[in-house]
Amino acid sequence: MASVVLAVYLVGLGLTIAGNSVSGSSALLRTIKQRLFSPWMGPAWLDLGFDQPLTYGLPEDADHDLEVRRFEVDGGAEKNGPLRFPGNRTGERAARWRRLARRIASAASDETAVPLAAGFGQGAFEAVGGEDVAVRAVRWPLEEREAPAEGPRPVKPYEARVRLIDGELQLVELGGEAKRGELAPVLREQSAGAAVTGEGTSP
Amino acid sequence: MSGPARPTTGADSAPSGLAAVGEAWLAYWFAPADPRPLALVRILTGLLGLALAASYAADLEAWFGPGGMIPVSATGRSGPTFSLFAMATSASALQTLFGVLVAALVAVTLGLASRGACLVAAVLWAALLNRGPVLAGPADDCLAVLLWCLAVGPSGSVWSLDRWISARRGSPPPAPSPWVRVALGLVRVHAVAITAGMLLAQLKGDVWWDGTAAWWLTTRSQSRLVDLTGLYRGSEYLMNLVTHAIVGFEILFAIGLWFDATRRLVARAGIVAWPLIGTLAGEPFWGLALAICCVPDAFGPDRAGYTA
Repeated sequence: MASVVLAVYLVGLGLTIAGNSVSGSSALLRTIKQRLFSPWMGPAWLDLGFDQPLTYGLPEDADHDLEVRRFEVDGGAEKNGPLRFPGNRTGERAARWRRLARRIASAASDETAVPLAAGFGQGAFEAVGGEDVAVRAVRWPLEEREAPAEGPRPVKPYEARVRLIDGELQLVELGGEAKRGELAPVLREQSAGAAVTGEGTSP
Repeated sequence: MSGPARPTTGADSAPSGLAAVGEAWLAYWFAPADPRPLALVRILTGLLGLALAASYAADLEAWFGPGGMIPVSATGRSGPTFSLFAMATSASALQTLFGVLVAALVAVTLGLASRGACLVAAVLWAALLNRGPVLAGPADDCLAVLLWCLAVGPSGSVWSLDRWISARRGSPPPAPSPWVRVALGLVRVHAVAITAGMLLAQLKGDVWWDGTAAWWLTTRSQSRLVDLTGLYRGSEYLMNLVTHAIVGFEILFAIGLWFDATRRLVARAGIVAWPLIGTLAGEPFWGLALAICCVPDAFGPDRAGYTA
């Protein structure tokens, strides 16, 4: 019996690696994995691809930070500086904020990350002291080896306005790499505590 | 491919075909094994778990509390998930649940009610990661795997409060359990799977072929632990060497762990190399987690096997 359980688990382990490949997976393997293995391996945090390349040298591999501040309609100077995450946090604690920042930065091209940006903005209402905030993902570009040894100048891959109006949480994208100056909210949902929904992706 | 250490007892004849495969399978998974390497893995895993849990503690409510920055409905993960932490709708419930996780990790480290503590820690750690998948890193994945492996085997049969309490009561040492080998076998399989998965991912990227990956690892100005940009600017060959050495080690590790002749050497190299690679990559806890996976093969009994 134990041998059967082990064999089944090893098949599942193989499928999680094949099914979480950064290159994608075949429909066959994906279906088998999702029907037979993900229901019990996912909740146990065992549905893992281990596809950790450490780096591909891509812009997305750079360090990312998050900034949130009160939204200024006229873009005027802020009385107080933005709240920064990870800010002065260090170690693994800072790394977790950077992962969140990297995911929110991807909202420029990945719709599933938009609810995270909205959730982050909404969660910052109290800290910022208002229900209308600007959320900004900041990227510290990777330095070219041949370039002069100067500190990288940060760029803004994603920026959005998150506001609560009559109980409705709205996210209006302000700028960034992929989407610029959309005027209408791209996300509108009734806010009841945590009211933003998203389809999400695998971790 | 040779199998793992064969038990000192058993048939000496050399079967062939399916029988040989069956025997190798049974020897790999169920032969009696020294419980001390598993106990060492338990202690180190408990300490790693406490360190990783500490990185959640200060921001726990900011992320997952009522009105937190990562709402339950926006965890960013698809597929079937279940998280006890998603049910914690008040700050006190969240802190209580997290407190139980920390207590379980302390019990894992000390070896108190070891199997149950490992199981509780594994369940709650998975629940915490499922609550905020976007915050999870590679070290968290490795910790989850290690905790589940420990929950399988009797990791508290030596070097534990469990054993100390039993000894005070005059209980004899526990009989050798095949589940020790199952747990150790799973640790090894996962160490190889993690390495192979990483290797396959790396070989899809040009930077691991053209030898520049080491540069891109060290040029992350905000998160790097060591700044080697000056060295790499001065020597392209050094940068190439470091890149190729990482890939070369991963290949040797994923293969060498399966052969009796190379297993111990490769595992001992892993205890040094993984933390170094983790430091270079800005993921020190991930490096330590993989080093923990090497402990049983680096310091466990050699191929002569274990006899109670």
